[in-house]
Amino acid sequence: MAATKRFAKTRRAFLIGTGLVGGALAVGATLAWRRVANAETFILPVDAAKGEAAFNAWLKIAPDSTITVAVPRQDMGQGIYTMLAMYVAEELDADWSKVKVVQAPISVIYGNTTLLADGAPAPLKSVMVTVSKVLGLQTTGGSTSTRDGWMPMRMAAASARSMLLGVAAAKWNVPFSELTIEKSVIRHKSGKSAPIGEFAKDAALLPAPKFATPKPQADWKVLGTSPKRLDVPEKVNGAAQFGIDVRPEGLLYAAVKHINMVSGTLQEVRWKNGVVPKDVLHQVRGSDWLAVIATSSWSAQKALENVELIGGGDNATVLSSDVLTARYNEILDGGDRGVMPGSRPLRREYANRGDAPKLIAAAQKNQVVEAAYSVPLAAHATMEPMNCTVRIANGKVDVWCGNQAPTLLQWLAASSAGVSSDNVTIHTPYLGGGFGRRVDLEVVRQALACAKRTNGKPVQLIWSREQDMRHDAYRPAVSCKFTAVLGGNGTAGVSAWHHKLVGPSVMKATAVRLNAAAGGDFPPDKTNCEGAADLPYDFTNFKVDHAQVDLPVPLGFWRSVGHSFNAFFVESFVDELAFALKKDPYLFRLELLKNEPRFAKVLDAAASAAQWSAPLPSKNWGRGIAIAESFKSIVAQVVDVEIINKKIHVRRVVSAVDCGTALHPDNTKAQISSGAIYGLSAALNAKITLKDGRVEQGNFNDYPMLNLAECPQFETVIVNSGEPLGGIGEVGLPPVAPALANAVFMATGKRLRDLPLSLA
Amino acid sequence: MSVTFVLNDKSTTLNAPDDKPLLWALREDANLVGTKYGCGIAVCGACTVHVDGVPTRSCVTPCSAIAGKSVTTIEAIGSKSPGGFNAVQKAWIEHQVPQCGYCQSGFIMAATALLEKTPEPTDDEINAAITNLCRCGTYPAMRAAIKKAAQLKKAGA
Repeated sequence: MAATKRFAKTRRAFLIGTGLVGGALAVGATLAWRRVANAETFILPVDAAKGEAAFNAWLKIAPDSTITVAVPRQDMGQGIYTMLAMYVAEELDADWSKVKVVQAPISVIYGNTTLLADGAPAPLKSVMVTVSKVLGLQTTGGSTSTRDGWMPMRMAAASARSMLLGVAAAKWNVPFSELTIEKSVIRHKSGKSAPIGEFAKDAALLPAPKFATPKPQADWKVLGTSPKRLDVPEKVNGAAQFGIDVRPEGLLYAAVKHINMVSGTLQEVRWKNGVVPKDVLHQVRGSDWLAVIATSSWSAQKALENVELIGGGDNATVLSSDVLTARYNEILDGGDRGVMPGSRPLRREYANRGDAPKLIAAAQKNQVVEAAYSVPLAAHATMEPMNCTVRIANGKVDVWCGNQAPTLLQWLAASSAGVSSDNVTIHTPYLGGGFGRRVDLEVVRQALACAKRTNGKPVQLIWSREQDMRHDAYRPAVSCKFTAVLGGNGTAGVSAWHHKLVGPSVMKATAVRLNAAAGGDFPPDKTNCEGAADLPYDFTNFKVDHAQVDLPVPLGFWRSVGHSFNAFFVESFVDELAFALKKDPYLFRLELLKNEPRFAKVLDAAASAAQWSAPLPSKNWGRGIAIAESFKSIVAQVVDVEIINKKIHVRRVVSAVDCGTALHPDNTKAQISSGAIYGLSAALNAKITLKDGRVEQGNFNDYPMLNLAECPQFETVIVNSGEPLGGIGEVGLPPVAPALANAVFMATGKRLRDLPLSLA
Repeated sequence: MSVTFVLNDKSTTLNAPDDKPLLWALREDANLVGTKYGCGIAVCGACTVHVDGVPTRSCVTPCSAIAGKSVTTIEAIGSKSPGGFNAVQKAWIEHQVPQCGYCQSGFIMAATALLEKTPEPTDDEINAAITNLCRCGTYPAMRAAIKKAAQLKKAGA
């Protein structure tokens, strides 16, 4: 502690000298700072042998000036390791080649407050922020990670910077204000210089300053540029470790088979000829699954080919997709039968201004436009199938699993193994795709059950592709009907807009799946009508109704959640109105956006980059446009298609994106095309169908996704509005399906209203 | 119950049943986990390795079929190149291709084999040869990287 005493005076002088006081700060900054200051109670663990010095929960510095950033979010391809490290590199003016990341341990300090606040209904938001802080849920989703790290991580690094400079000032006996950092080297105008590593140990012993202000944007050197991603080199030589790659000593392998329906109870296990294959070391039985443990994944999978699982019970379902569609249509027409036996739809209003129903009732037939749309169930199909490795030994639990919610894994493992959370270590390697799939805990639950049977030996449970495809937590099937009235003195020639939807609540289904005790009437689920109830279009008479049904199907968050279907519905129907009014679809949207200059600018940017009015190569080509706001970012897209023998070929996607400020422009563009390609796979191919309660698809041959040959050209324009940050991982997806459907309409005159789009 | 072959330039004997797919023998018996399981039916290509230089879906290749042959995996594909990365890997880094990264080993193996056979592939040749699947949609960067790798290779990288 000698160092603390030695430099305390300098520190105080520095604080007064730079005028850092808390009084005049914005509330947001104060809250964010509290997260950093709280970090004094949680300091990042260091490797003492390496001489590392930890400054707070977010970063440590080694004597060789390597900065290690603790990233409390999971990298599933969206580049968050690099992005969050950039926050720290910026404030420390770091040499990028000496910046590393580690997966942060689990602590309340790292809770994702942005995600819970985003998902909650408005009146509950402040409560939810508080709740997420108390619970400290470490989750990656909702395109929130960059936004959530924005203040605390920059402040944490700014705080470390002032501590480092404080020590240098004292050692060199020069004024603090004359010191700068360049590429991790502290410099004084006299020419004196030394790398930050030389000061790290002393600096980290100081108490943190009372406050630290991140750099103004004008001084940025790192943010807004595109440094090389930290994870790329190890992703080109096979060294990157995914959950499926961990190899703790003594590892056993497990495979799982579920009953052949999406909901039901395992009633009977029938081994072929009554013989359990000799490779099976243990059988583990769950509510609707059987796992076997062997010395190889392959032999475990092979053993399961010899078993038939009989499902049934009160919760067994025989639902088929055609029945579901028919029931949805009944409900949209006012029917009162739900999907589950004996249930009724829960009808709620998500938006209402003016009096749309009255105008519709009074309108003449030729003024009314009606259309019905639908999307099917969709699987996530992450390239790395679900897997989880668990070791339960000596009262300690280790879980290795690519996941989007390590705090939830920790709770589950602790309660399952009967130990306290302190005795659970969650290891989160790279995720081989996430897209919302890895919020689900079913594979973790199963792996924990397996590991209880192996006397301290670790077990790796891997789902086969077929199990993954047939037992996903799916994007729900949703249907809707629109009624609009043209004419009168409504905005852009539209006097009323009434949108009625039917579908399940993903929030409720997820809560029930995580905790079977949850249930009953849930509060309104924002994801039901996100991108439908909150349109930028200024319709005077506007109503959005939702009929919520429970489904006997596991459901989950699927990249862009409600926006994945609502943008398709809304932007397709807007196109229908443009054509009904004989207006250009781009100019019609501009007219509707006359009070939304930020949206109009993004739409203009996409139309201009795509040369909206330029002629197409031939008459079997079409061009469509769409715009959607999701996760606080706005994306407009123009899609060109060519139709050959009734087959849709996507030729070009031009996007414009306003995410506030693109902090890593190359990655912003990569994520926009990533989201769009995921959306194109869904728009062209992806469909999960049920037949008598069972999923009909099983692998990539019957659930196809876009490949290299089918991938269109991409061009993405960034519009930096300087507005608060928006997300980037999901926002490229919502507008692409409607822009595509609108292009198909232009090429063929056929309005396709159901995903996946088909002209056959 | 055992198979002898050349694995990444070393003669290797693995204790694996004849019908065990090479993918699982690599991952479990040789501890080479860079080759990935994606579909098990030779559709996605995440498991692509070279068998006597030919890109091969190891998830449907039984161990018995590789006896006496030479297998190269992602771990060794760059081992003879300066810096440990071959032209494809270098181009992959330059164009920042990977996102989640899970499928990338298979793509790099497929692209490396393509350039061995077709040093300057056209778009159609790339489309025909690279049939792997990527769920993150890294295709636009990948196409650019394959063309860059062809240039690097020509220049002697």
